[in-house]
Order: sequence, then C-alpha cells, then structure tokens
Amino acid sequence: MPYKPSGLANPWLHLWLSILCVTIYELLLKRGATETAHLADSWAWTGISGLASPYSWVAILFVILSLLSWLHVLRYIPLSIAFPVSQVVHVLIPLCSWLFLGEAIIGLRWCGITLVLLGLAVVAKPVAQLEERL
Amino acid sequence: MTLVSFAIVLIALCGEVGGQLVLKKAMEMSNAAGFRSLKFLLVFTAGILLMTVKFFLNLGLLQKYDLSFIYPFQGLSVIIITFTAAIMLREKLTLQLTVGSLLISAGIVLVSLS
Repeated sequence: MPYKPSGLANPWLHLWLSILCVTIYELLLKRGATETAHLADSWAWTGISGLASPYSWVAILFVILSLLSWLHVLRYIPLSIAFPVSQVVHVLIPLCSWLFLGEAIIGLRWCGITLVLLGLAVVAKPVAQLEERL
Repeated sequence: MTLVSFAIVLIALCGEVGGQLVLKKAMEMSNAAGFRSLKFLLVFTAGILLMTVKFFLNLGLLQKYDLSFIYPFQGLSVIIITFTAAIMLREKLTLQLTVGSLLISAGIVLVSLS
C-alpha cells in the first residue's frame, strides 16, 4: 500500500503554501526591482543590481520556502497536475498587484483572469480523482 | 518590449520548463534512492541551476516592466510543462487536463496581451 502523507505533510497543503509564498515573493521582488531600477551598470540586464534592495532578499527567503514546499509536492503529485493547479498565482498576482502595488487591471486582463479560473475548474476533476488515489 | 527583452523572456521560459522537469525527475529519484545518492544530487543541482538562471533573468525583466505584464509570459509554461511531463516523464494526460491547461494558458496570454 503506498504511503499517504497527511497532516502537515499533506502535499496539497504544501501546494497551497507554495502558491502563497510565490505570490508574496513576486510582490516583494517587484518592490525590490522598482527600488533599484535607477542603479545603472553594465550587468543591470542580469537583474543582479536588484539585490541592493532588502525587499529582494526577503523575496529570496519566500522563494526558498516555496521551493521547499514545491519539492515536497513533486514527490507525491504528478507535475502535469501540480503545475496547472499552481497557476492560480496568475489570478492572485494581478489581484495583489492591483491591491498592494496600485497597478491597473483593464477589462481584457479581467477576461484573462476569468479564463484561468475556468481552466482551473476544468483541471479540478483530475485533481479530485488523484486525491482519491493518494 | 524590445527584441532583446523578448529573447530574455524566452530564455527564462526555457529555464522554468527545464528546471521543473529536472526537479520532478530528481524528486522521483529521491523516492527510490534517497537524498544522499550521487545521481539524485547531480540532477537536483542541475534543476536548481536552471531555476536560478530563470530567477535572475526575471529580476532583470521586472526592473523594466510591470509585474502584472511580465509574469503572465511565464504562463505559456503551463501547456509546455503539461505536454513535456506527459512525453518525458510518462505522466498520464487526460482530456480534461489538456483542456484545462489550454484554458489556463489562453487566459494567461490574454492577461499578458492586455
């Protein structure tokens, strides 16, 4: 009988933890990148100058947390299911960019967000089938 | 968006797809051989290196463009990863999963076009 992780080791819990950490990471990284955009040097295209901001370092902490959770997810859930589900970040990030960074969301972007949500609803059935097996 | 920026977006996308596939392979290896096997460590390091390249290229792009504009480009990776996982990792690909992934990718492209 295959091992069924439960409680804090539940891979679905880790999938959501990873999604939350990625959302926070992207928002902090944008803050860090904006703060350091004026630092012009020949290596600026690599993004390395972004490390001058503490926001980027906190972002790195969150991306490490998300990576650890994601690695746990990869041990138990197929990539072709876990990755599409993790794309709920494409709904969360524009919403959070609008709420916390003051970025605009125009009509077409709302349509895109709706399509992503529709796709997630379609993917939900294979997810439920897998959860029954896990 | 300039041609160079577009090329960097594409390289970052390849880093994401390659990184995810290699890390999944590494974690499958860890289930069988444990975390201390040399094979696992080599494959895991390759996956982390690919993700690191993607991270720094993404940071460079964010210095020039809005987060809500740049991030959705990575959304193309959904459909690419779903298919490559089915081909290279031999994962089961159902019709619902394909349709769902296509809808997610289409939604993300629509967000990026706006």
